[in-house]
Amino acid sequence: MLIDATVLFQIAGIGIIVALIQTILKQMGKEEIAQFAALLGFIIVLVIVVNSLSDLFQQIKSVFLFQG
Amino acid sequence: MKWLGALLFLGACSWGGFEWSRKFSKRPQHIRQLKNALQILEAEILYSQLPLQEAFLTISKQTPKPTRTFFYFLSEQMKDKNKDLIEIWEDAVHEFMEISYIGPNEREILYQFGKTLGQHDFTQQQKHIQLTINHLERELQDARDDDHKYGKMAKSLGFLSGLFIVLLLI
Repeated sequence: MLIDATVLFQIAGIGIIVALIQTILKQMGKEEIAQFAALLGFIIVLVIVVNSLSDLFQQIKSVFLFQG
Repeated sequence: MKWLGALLFLGACSWGGFEWSRKFSKRPQHIRQLKNALQILEAEILYSQLPLQEAFLTISKQTPKPTRTFFYFLSEQMKDKNKDLIEIWEDAVHEFMEISYIGPNEREILYQFGKTLGQHDFTQQQKHIQLTINHLERELQDARDDDHKYGKMAKSLGFLSGLFIVLLLI
């Protein structure tokens, strides 16, 4: 089975962009907004990861329990 | 189709960022124009001793776009003899706020200046013009600092936020 790697690239891209935004905001002296942006990026990535994890658990359940 | 949408979105966000940064880069320019206009006004009052309406018309001929409209509006409105200069000035400043990028501080300075116009003799008037020019100079420094500080940030933030949302939706 070929795993779809889009989600990996997506998460990597979000990480890079959030890091860039944070660096720029910090350079301009807006530390609070920079922290907020980092937190926002973290939450978004967390949502994506949790979604994928729930898929993984569903898969494991369907393999070992032989039902839905 | 998806990529076209993504590109369009990215373009829109970058455009927004550029527009935002233009607000920072235009403000010093417009303040400088105002300063020049006030210097011309001082010269017209002191040396040519023109009445205000003609002085405004002369200034509007010598300055570039947003300031030109401001002084042209003033001189046009002053042809109507029934109106007070202070009212006309406040209307004009209001209009000027719409077409230029000056901020609320400059508006207050202009309001204060408008109250002194035509109330005093030459030397007093010259002092008021100098005072206003000094205030504007201070604002010009602030506006320049802001431009250096936030101009680039606005551009990159616009582009990066566009990229970010595209990545989220893809």
